[in-house]
Amino acid sequence: MTISRRQFAKTAALGAAAVCMPSIVRAQQTTLKVVWMGWPDNQVLPLMAEFEKRNPSIKLAVERMPFQQIFQALEIRLNARNGDPDVFIVDSPLTASYAARGHLMELDGIIDKKRFAPSGIAAASFNGKIYSAPFGSSMQVMFYNKEMFRAAGVTPPSADPAARWTWEQVVEAGKKMAKPADNIWGFTFEQQERPYQLLPMGQSLGGVPLSPDGFKATGFIDGPGFVEGFTFMQKMYTESKISPPGQFDTALTPELFGAGKCAMMVAGTFVFDTLKNKFPNLDFGVAPHPYFAKGKPVTPTGAWHFGVNARTQQKAAASQFVTDMLSDDMNVLWYKLRPYVPTLNAVWEKEAASFGSDLWKIAKYDVQNTAIPRPATPGFREYEDIVRVALRDIQSGANAQQILTAAAQKIDREIAKYKG
Amino acid sequence: MFRHPWAPFLFLAPAFLGLFVFRFVPIGLSGVGSLFSENLRGDMVFVGWKNYAELFDDPSFWNTLKVTLIFNLIINPFQICCAMGLALLVRRPTRFMDVFRLSFIMPMTVSIALTSIIWSIMLDPTLGPVNSLLRWLGLPTQPFFRSERQALETLMLVATWKGAGYWMIFLLSGLLAIPKEVEDSALIDGATGFRKFISITLPLMKRPLAFVLVADTAANFLLFAPVYIITNGGPNGATQLLMFEAYQAAFAYINHGRSMAISTIILLVVLVIAVLELRLFRPAEEERS
Repeated sequence: MTISRRQFAKTAALGAAAVCMPSIVRAQQTTLKVVWMGWPDNQVLPLMAEFEKRNPSIKLAVERMPFQQIFQALEIRLNARNGDPDVFIVDSPLTASYAARGHLMELDGIIDKKRFAPSGIAAASFNGKIYSAPFGSSMQVMFYNKEMFRAAGVTPPSADPAARWTWEQVVEAGKKMAKPADNIWGFTFEQQERPYQLLPMGQSLGGVPLSPDGFKATGFIDGPGFVEGFTFMQKMYTESKISPPGQFDTALTPELFGAGKCAMMVAGTFVFDTLKNKFPNLDFGVAPHPYFAKGKPVTPTGAWHFGVNARTQQKAAASQFVTDMLSDDMNVLWYKLRPYVPTLNAVWEKEAASFGSDLWKIAKYDVQNTAIPRPATPGFREYEDIVRVALRDIQSGANAQQILTAAAQKIDREIAKYKG
Repeated sequence: MFRHPWAPFLFLAPAFLGLFVFRFVPIGLSGVGSLFSENLRGDMVFVGWKNYAELFDDPSFWNTLKVTLIFNLIINPFQICCAMGLALLVRRPTRFMDVFRLSFIMPMTVSIALTSIIWSIMLDPTLGPVNSLLRWLGLPTQPFFRSERQALETLMLVATWKGAGYWMIFLLSGLLAIPKEVEDSALIDGATGFRKFISITLPLMKRPLAFVLVADTAANFLLFAPVYIITNGGPNGATQLLMFEAYQAAFAYINHGRSMAISTIILLVVLVIAVLELRLFRPAEEERS
């Protein structure tokens, strides 16, 4: 077979084009490096896939990190002060810290404030500008194992916020069900060491965790409310022994509850679906977050946001990510994948039918009446870590007053760099 | 080519380059960086000795230094005794010796991070198999890493489980290098096993022991992963080692100047201790000549 020079040239040109096409397509495709929370595959990947489907020219390189490591790992990455990652998940109180250090891009032109709950926008703002995108708030409830209550002959807590249990009631009921020697427990926090879940123990007794200007911890986190509240928490581990000590892995505590080894657990609304799906035979109910008999009901709230690295080289694609992720239908999808308390008003309207359960009635009541967010300070990264270690120490039996006083001094020292 | 006066330098150049880039430059950067403070936007501001002054004024730093010194005062001799014991045990070829040697060396092949995770699960006060075993035997369960009194000791045991086999290899090669005639003549002279160990083996092991002691000290001063993964320095500062304090300062408290000051202090402390150790194990004059 012979071919002419023209045919040869045509074939060669077509061949070259075929070889080059994928790289041309690749060249047009933008890859966004995304650091996201280490939630399960089925709660994250569908969301990312939906974004890629809508934006064929943007590919997402998603890195999911475990809750225990994500903030430290992000700190290391961001301190390199380059464009990696392009987009990252933000625990809402860290917005000010990241923004103050120039890690977050302003999102004022991209986010329409009117579409969100005011608390979401407040948590996303620093010095009057929006730096992070609200992506769901959180509320805590108390899950209880109906079977364990039945077996112990204990009347379970009511779902009515007006008949909310006190911590004293939780301990009394817990004592009747806990058998520490057999690894059976009465109560656990889902996040045993996190200020997020534990600060309300002091706040319920009138404690204020940080000065109003956000720069002084001495006289606040080491005040009588927190000392009494955290000493009470300590006794759950050391005296009444209703709580399993040292379970700091937030993936383990729901397992303990789901496996029928713990009668009560304070955890987020988002744990509800995990329990339903993973432990289909578990007979459990939901009650409001407890409070102290002599105090007032206080519940924790916080939010997951995400932000764009101020040094990203992919500003257009990252902005597109923000716009799409905050669209009504993507937020509905996210709510269905992992039911956080929505911050986008449209989700409350579109999913109204799903908010009639006890879980959501409690969450809605508490978000409007008892929820207090974590302290607002640009030094929240330091604040949280120091209080977290202090809570570990208190759980282990250390004197709460001494530990909190030392922690407060440390916070004051570390937070001072944000002044002026 | 090999006779060219520059040849030795050329052959040594890659090693020196590595040493320079991965050791001397970071040490220099750390030393200089400890005299600076980073502002919120990442700019370095010269502050002189301020970072050191703040450290020396901070009771928590002194506690960390104390814990680190206690940890090293106990773990280094302990690890070397364990390594020496293991080396003596596996020196002579007997039945199943390969199995023993392998079992001592196995922990070396597991990364320190994995070691930490394995032992944190094994020694978990609630769900850990070790406490299940104690319960089964009718013995009281132990809090291990969750107790202020037990945490540092438990950390030492885990680090020794990981490290003893590694140091054993160096000591074993030293033991195997001892001339058989020397030992034989000691036996002929009527020396018992213990006498032979004290008078023959130990003096001839000075060089490998000196190396292992210095290297082990440096390794243990830089121990980080188990503290980060298991204890976070607690309970109540019981396992707060200097390396972890340096990490916390940099990545939890965003205070790089303080972190580099701590790193520089670690370097100086290790340097002083290494010099003392080398002096202690310096071979006698006649051995050197």
